[in-house]
Amino acid sequence: MKDIFTDLYNKVLGFFRQTEKKEEESAKEVACNRLKFVLMQDRTNLTPELMDRMRKELVELLSKYVEMDKEALELGFEQEGNQMALMLSIPVLRAKEEAEIEAVLAEEDAKKAEAEANKQENSEEENEESSEENETENEEESENEELEIEISEEETEITEESENQPSKKKTKTSKK
Amino acid sequence: MTATCEKVIEKDSKKGDIMSGRVIVITSGKGGVGKTTTNANIGTALAKAGKKVVMIDTDLGLRNLDLLLGLENRIVYTIVDVVEERCKLKQALVKDKKNPNLCLLAAAQTRDKTAVTEEQLKNICEELQKEFDFILVDCPAGIEQGFQNAVAGASEAIVVTTPEMSAVRDADRIIGLLEAREEIKSYKLLLNRVRPNMIKSNDMMSVDDVVEILSAQLIGIIPEDTGIITSTNKGEPIVNDEKSLAGQAYRNVAKRIIGEDVPFLNLEEDTGVVAKVKKFFAGLIGKEK
Repeated sequence: MKDIFTDLYNKVLGFFRQTEKKEEESAKEVACNRLKFVLMQDRTNLTPELMDRMRKELVELLSKYVEMDKEALELGFEQEGNQMALMLSIPVLRAKEEAEIEAVLAEEDAKKAEAEANKQENSEEENEESSEENETENEEESENEELEIEISEEETEITEESENQPSKKKTKTSKK
Repeated sequence: MTATCEKVIEKDSKKGDIMSGRVIVITSGKGGVGKTTTNANIGTALAKAGKKVVMIDTDLGLRNLDLLLGLENRIVYTIVDVVEERCKLKQALVKDKKNPNLCLLAAAQTRDKTAVTEEQLKNICEELQKEFDFILVDCPAGIEQGFQNAVAGASEAIVVTTPEMSAVRDADRIIGLLEAREEIKSYKLLLNRVRPNMIKSNDMMSVDDVVEILSAQLIGIIPEDTGIITSTNKGEPIVNDEKSLAGQAYRNVAKRIIGEDVPFLNLEEDTGVVAKVKKFFAGLIGKEK
């Protein structure tokens, strides 16, 4: 007798629970998720556009070393107690051959060297001509360079850590 | 009444100047989450527990703490009068109607936030620390100068928030600002206007959700209580109402501030009809065993 009742009770309860689950996210879940997302932006000063750019740059950088699923790369912030962690999760498709990596790096080094050589040539030429117009152009150029340097600093910070862990990467930044 | 208040201070100050009170700022970022109500209730509860308490209203131009305490007709001098040396600090302290342990330093209603500087507020707090066990600073909403002033003299903070998105977001900003200030040694979270029924039906963020998102230590959970409105109307803090659940919750907060280990009230317990029926059947099934 007792069993029949408890069984019935559970079935009825289960029915209600099932229908609840099928419904959309509860207001509470929506609030939590929206808040977490917006707080991440508030705390890091990173807009969705900047996050997207960071993601693209990371893909570009890391794909030199591993062949990965570029679409499945996940980038986000997670709260761990008082610490905020930048979580980067990349499904690795295949380890690259040593030679393959070296080839890519060598190619890049060559490009860099070439760019540097060009720059030196340019600056020499500019030094020769000392008109005022050229000076203003120089200023503009140097501003651009500064920006590039700032970004590359961020990159190195992340890669330093990420080299230690091949598949899951984590960089910790302290909460603002 | 200022004269009697002076007497109280003089009598106790004979004990020595070594005594140093705790300066706690009560802040929130967002307006309307219950900073002033919290201030009035914690202050009153601490005084009821035998502590000497002074509350400073730093919301210049928008003062309300006097109303919640029912002291609006007794204010002669304000904090601006003290700063501009029209009166002594002791003269400006308004004693509570019921509790001689409780004093209020009111804000000026006719001036703006620039009338008092950080340094001046710091000095006032230091002066009051000699005489009182607790100095509760009621902070204005926002993160501008008024906030910076209110925080200046404090070493502890209570961040008031509600389980609503905008209030939690603003609390997060405030926590960030508090963490950046060296003089603030600790901050605790007070979750106000909690609705257990809405949490149960997943329509509202739970206490755990808010604590997890803000990763801050909790000092109190105050249930939504219509009694707050009537108590404000009467000018009598709800902690004086022994039957009120919110009053009980505030009394517990005061105990935790003093250092007692008080468990949080169980607000989740359902008293609705459905729950009672469920309980009844659960009892029947249990008995059959």
